[in-house]
Amino acid sequence: MKHYIVKRLLWMIPILIGISFFAFILINLSPSDPAEVAIRVNEVTPTAENIAQMREQLGLDDPFMTRYLTWLSNALQGDFGNSYANNKPVGEEIAKALPPTLYLASVSLLIIVIISVAAGVLCAVKENSITDKTMRGIVFVGTAIPGFWAGILLMWLFAVKLKWLPTSGMTSPASVILPAVTLSLGYIATYVRLIRNNMIQNKRENYVLYGRVRGLKEQTIMKHVFKNSLQTSLTALGMSIPKLIAGTVVIENIFAWPGIGRLCVTAIFNRDFPMIQAYVLIMAVLFVFCNLLVDLGSVWIDPRRRET
Amino acid sequence: MKLKKGLAVLVAAVLCTGIFAGCSSTSANSDVSTKEALNYACTKDIRDINPHLYSGEMSAQNMVFEGLTKNEDGEVKPALAESWEISADGLEYTFHLRKGVTFTDGAAFNAEAVKLNMDAIVGNLERHAWLDMVNEIKENVVVDEHTYKLVLKQPYYPTLVELGLTRPFRFISPNCFVNGTTEEGVSGYIGTGPWVLSEHVDNQYATFTQNENYWGEKTKIKTVNWKVMPDPQTILLALQNGEVDLLFGADGDQVDLDSYKKLEDEGAYKTYISEPIASRAILINSNSPITKDIKVREAIEYAVNKENIIQGILNGSEDQADTLLSKEVPYCNIDLKTISYNQEKAKQLLDEAGWKLGTDGVREKDGQKCEITLSYNSKNAQEGTIAASIQADLAAVGIKMNILGEEKQAFLDRQKTGDFDLQYSLSWGTPYDPQSYVSSWRIPAHGDYQAQVGLEKKQWLDETITKIMIEADDTKRAEMYKEVLTYINDQYVYIPISYSKTKAVAIDGLNGVTFNDSQYEIPFEKMYFSK
Repeated sequence: MKHYIVKRLLWMIPILIGISFFAFILINLSPSDPAEVAIRVNEVTPTAENIAQMREQLGLDDPFMTRYLTWLSNALQGDFGNSYANNKPVGEEIAKALPPTLYLASVSLLIIVIISVAAGVLCAVKENSITDKTMRGIVFVGTAIPGFWAGILLMWLFAVKLKWLPTSGMTSPASVILPAVTLSLGYIATYVRLIRNNMIQNKRENYVLYGRVRGLKEQTIMKHVFKNSLQTSLTALGMSIPKLIAGTVVIENIFAWPGIGRLCVTAIFNRDFPMIQAYVLIMAVLFVFCNLLVDLGSVWIDPRRRET
Repeated sequence: MKLKKGLAVLVAAVLCTGIFAGCSSTSANSDVSTKEALNYACTKDIRDINPHLYSGEMSAQNMVFEGLTKNEDGEVKPALAESWEISADGLEYTFHLRKGVTFTDGAAFNAEAVKLNMDAIVGNLERHAWLDMVNEIKENVVVDEHTYKLVLKQPYYPTLVELGLTRPFRFISPNCFVNGTTEEGVSGYIGTGPWVLSEHVDNQYATFTQNENYWGEKTKIKTVNWKVMPDPQTILLALQNGEVDLLFGADGDQVDLDSYKKLEDEGAYKTYISEPIASRAILINSNSPITKDIKVREAIEYAVNKENIIQGILNGSEDQADTLLSKEVPYCNIDLKTISYNQEKAKQLLDEAGWKLGTDGVREKDGQKCEITLSYNSKNAQEGTIAASIQADLAAVGIKMNILGEEKQAFLDRQKTGDFDLQYSLSWGTPYDPQSYVSSWRIPAHGDYQAQVGLEKKQWLDETITKIMIEADDTKRAEMYKEVLTYINDQYVYIPISYSKTKAVAIDGLNGVTFNDSQYEIPFEKMYFSK
């Protein structure tokens, strides 16, 4: 196990370097001159003089590798430079916006787990019954509705019509309900199907038959089926955590949620490169680490995988 | 729980059709007259409202900071300066400052504060390159505590108008200066205006409260809550939910035309529309391979059916423009040749220019197809629809027009480099028109400059504009404006479409909603709640 962990950790070094390089060259791939963008974003008319001044200020005249290494070493210390749009440190801006996003993602995750497990198990137990078919129909609708559309519908129904919840913002504890439900819709659809199918598959395994032959109670058998089915879902769920965080982009805009998703959208519209670079890097690192944790988790559960 | 949620989605899906079927909800507020706080929703945060920089929202800057003059009802009126004298040579402006005015931190507003602010603005010349006025300032002089003298390098005629603009000539308490200046940021946002910024949470909200010691008439509403809602659809729903009392914005930013019409028809809200403020036009690049031919540009002007755009797309809410700038704009009440929709004339001009109709309905000349591109900022859906209308008009006369919707920065990049055939252009509106707008034609980073660069007399045009700004004689200046506007009109560089208006929607009970001269300001101080 120790050997496996060390190997995986070492592998992460080139991956992370590659990611950081990719995040950095974004600035070079863009057709816009970053100096000009930095000027224009403040509604100042770019002129030859102020562009030259800004280029010098941003260190854009240095060779590419020098700029990359400076950026990387600063980024490793948490310094991602200053935003073009408001001149504030990007690291601070992200640190401020991260808690609301994590809060939103956590509540969504909770909703996903509770509803998916409950509905998935129910569907599997009542396989092909009306309940199962209805659930799957609802799940199908859930998958088909785009997040932004579902968000607006929910907002209209629960805020404007029923007046149960606020439309948007982060003003009260109830504010999180609509964005979290919207964010979880797509995932619930996936996990209900996943858990249901896994359980049905497991129900056909020999150990279930053996259990029945041994005269075990149906409830006990289903417990084993559930446990064995959960493993795949847990792996998928682990990978959903960074996806949930990155997936808040649209939802945060609709619900005026002050998280990093919105920060990122604003940065993209402004071509606020330091912010975009930091966002890409942080998200990529998050994905890589979650992937590692999920792998380690599954290896810990299933020692056979250590050999592969 | 799953079932309940699922049902909710289904119910929502069924009911959603009601949104477009006109199934409306009414405002939640029943006791509006006792309200003390106005909730305003904006797609953008107020950001850094340092009045000497440009990253913040202009309407928020206007709430907190004031200038020596203000532009109201098309005139320059006193603000922090009670009166002024201008020397005979037009080089010295002596301002008599209002007495007893203090910044909201208690600092006195006097000639010294004016000088410090003006020096800080001049010291950051690069930032203000778009505004000639800053270039023209030679010296800022404290005559006595309540008298300040502005000395110019040349007699710059729009001085008093530009001193009243929302930025940069507004005054911030010298206590907020950092290292004696404001160019690298300020330590607070303390002004003399009717409102005080009392709280600001980035990307969430800002709270403005009444300045209790305001020198002028105090605001009728105690608090303005500026809520940030990036999605216009959310803003509409929040208005229907009673969380928002006012939508206010220019060019479809806060409220698009369809929603505006729908809310107007519902009757539960009060809708307001300003006088024509700015000019909406399409630039035709005089330096592009096909449109460099003046006959082609003229043909395009004849081919575009403006009435279709005004009635069909803008719902008749804007006035059709026959000339680039409205006759109401200073110096623009001149006789100019106007063009009416005439397909036959357009075809004839294209024939004359050598573009012959091909078998596929697209004109050709020397083996080249008559194919041009109109690019626009894809975030503005209305512009996309207008583009489609123009596309059909041009196709009818044998010009193939491609539509290129781009992300804003890409659109601006194209504008700067002149890499376009057709593009949108919006004038800056009063009080910037005509002087600041025409002045910007000389800056290469503007689409106007790039579209004009192929003109034979471009150099003359730029030089004349420069001379206009420093021409002291009003008659001569008017004559020069006439020459410039006539030339640009006769060269068919712009297809004037309409004169845009600012729109507002308020809940029933919010009164006093009016418009300032500048489309970027919101006169919250005049608003009040009553039944």
